[in-house]
Amino acid sequence: MFRSLPARAALATVSLIVALVAAVAAASSSPAQLPEILLSRQLAEQAAVRPGDTVTIAAEADGAGARQFRVAGIYEPTPDPVRFTSRRIEARLHLPDLLAITATPGDPSSTESVRAINVKLADPAQADAFATAVTARFPGVISRLTARAQDGSDPFAVLERFHLAVAIVTVIGSTAFLLALMVMRAEERREIVGIVRLIGVSQRFVLLVVLAEGLLIAAAGAIFGVLVAKGAEDGVNRFFQWRYDTTLVFVRVTARIALQSIALAVPLGVLAGLVGSWTLLRRDIVSLVRR
Amino acid sequence: MSAWSLAWRTVTHNPARACLAIGGVAVIGALLFNMLLLSRGLLLSFRDLLDTAGYDVRVLANEGSPIHRVPLAGAPSLAEEIGRLPSVRRVALIRTDSAVAMPPGRDGDAVIVTLIGSTERQLGGAWDIVKGATLPDEVRPGEPVPLVVSTKLAARQRLEPGAPLRIRVNLGGGASVLPALDCRVVGIGTFTFESADDYSVATTMQGFAAARGAPKGEDEADLVLVASSPEAGPEAAGKAIAALRPDVRVYSNAQVVEQFNARAFSYFRQISTVLSTITLAFAFLLVATLLTMSVNQRLGEVAALRALGFPRRRIAANLLCESALLVGVGGLAALPLGGVLAIVLDRILRAMPGVPERLHFFVFEMDMVLLHAALLTATGILAALYPIWLAARLPIAATLRKEIVS
Repeated sequence: MFRSLPARAALATVSLIVALVAAVAAASSSPAQLPEILLSRQLAEQAAVRPGDTVTIAAEADGAGARQFRVAGIYEPTPDPVRFTSRRIEARLHLPDLLAITATPGDPSSTESVRAINVKLADPAQADAFATAVTARFPGVISRLTARAQDGSDPFAVLERFHLAVAIVTVIGSTAFLLALMVMRAEERREIVGIVRLIGVSQRFVLLVVLAEGLLIAAAGAIFGVLVAKGAEDGVNRFFQWRYDTTLVFVRVTARIALQSIALAVPLGVLAGLVGSWTLLRRDIVSLVRR
Repeated sequence: MSAWSLAWRTVTHNPARACLAIGGVAVIGALLFNMLLLSRGLLLSFRDLLDTAGYDVRVLANEGSPIHRVPLAGAPSLAEEIGRLPSVRRVALIRTDSAVAMPPGRDGDAVIVTLIGSTERQLGGAWDIVKGATLPDEVRPGEPVPLVVSTKLAARQRLEPGAPLRIRVNLGGGASVLPALDCRVVGIGTFTFESADDYSVATTMQGFAAARGAPKGEDEADLVLVASSPEAGPEAAGKAIAALRPDVRVYSNAQVVEQFNARAFSYFRQISTVLSTITLAFAFLLVATLLTMSVNQRLGEVAALRALGFPRRRIAANLLCESALLVGVGGLAALPLGGVLAIVLDRILRAMPGVPERLHFFVFEMDMVLLHAALLTATGILAALYPIWLAARLPIAATLRKEIVS
């Protein structure tokens, strides 16, 4: 998919998708003959308009050049992560109808102007070559791929890095927490370990037991954590969807993320258990059982 | 022995455990500190950016908003009218568009730039000259259009004051292609609102109009910047402008910041609230668990102290001091750690496209340090409650007996 823009700063008005911050008012004349329009759910709610109603739309705030349309339907705008903080007060209409509203009288070229042209290439692999060709043939026209930039410069890649950095800090804090707990837990079992060692159980066996116990606890903790995240997923999404009046999904606990968390948490848990126990195992038996 | 001394001895008795606990609190506290800085950082930084330009009122067309601006018709006459108001000290017109800048004969070096037209020769703070001169007051007919280019563009296109540069404006929505305009670089400056992925070029309003194919000038502006007189202030100046021209929108810098706060910045504010809550809960769990385990390990010791006549209040004070030591030292360590972390996270977020290079997501504020301290103190107290309750309700005789038998 491809997008050609006459100017980089062009507004987000793309082919048939038109964001009109215009006056929408209910009117009542000859609805059957009127051109059709689709309104976003947010706009329909704000203007209290239903399918079948007639609305008047003008590109100018003073209502100049206003035209009437019949509301053919209400649509839910495609969630756009870049614009989720703004209310989607939008309408979609046929391009000739839009041009009829926005055209400048006396300027014939204004009825032939669009801000962007969406292009679907027969061979998506040719996207870069196509962009180069468009730029060379039409100076002033900017061609831009609709795919996410691969150089890590798009906002989501930046947010991903930010969340990753926060996650790393959390993991470091959790590891310190876990180590402190394991050290305390090992300390608690100092005497038991001493007695077990006194009756002849090898250091290696005790270490294996600690390892198995750490593995079980870490796995259980990681699974519990994933379940908590999965349980909170719906709540978080509902809150933000309510807050921003959007259907955008903010949190999604995928199998990959769950496995990543488990893969990180289990070895860390086991390691913390081993480090905690190692402080006991390296001591001599007498010091362990001494009170 | 005071409760503090006893708590100190308990904590230092097991240094490894204490270090790990303090380390955990420090890392979590650093994250909390960062989230507090993030909650207001953008606002403070944005406010600072707006204020550095020296103008405190913005006048826009009624149809637009501070984010999506619509050109304002009849801008020169509007500026004149506004300039005559007693509450106004200075007025400037601003016009922006997208353009392509290319050094003559080096079309391969062409880059997209933000072209700014202004009635001001130099917008102190918005762009500061580092080399060459400011924009001239007047340009004689036939002379090339004067430009001030950003240091980044100058470096990329190897431009020096006096260098020729061709500018071609991309008219939004237009299918026609304007011819490139011959210009001359008069100065190189730093642009406050320039983002990492952007290049800025400033010129006069006449130069801007010429670049847009209207050599006789245009009567539109995207924005009218107004500096209120110190006696009147931005609110009074804003009211006077709104009364003068009800067909325009007037925003003080504070109102612009408020609008951005409600829309564009809300995501980071909410993220910071969510993460602050999580980090506080985490710190609470960390300290509460450590103290509870510590009390469980020392039940005999606590019972013995009680048997010796230590009142419950003293035991509670001891545990509270222990919590305060862990949280206090960890919280103090969190501040420098958080500072370093804020620099790293700020660098990550500022890589976002369209973010002015001088805008920061994390801004140090003394209030946030105090809030950080207050939140950690409350967490420390809350975390100590359960272990205190455990220690206070301990049956002395039964515990001592159990301790001896075991």
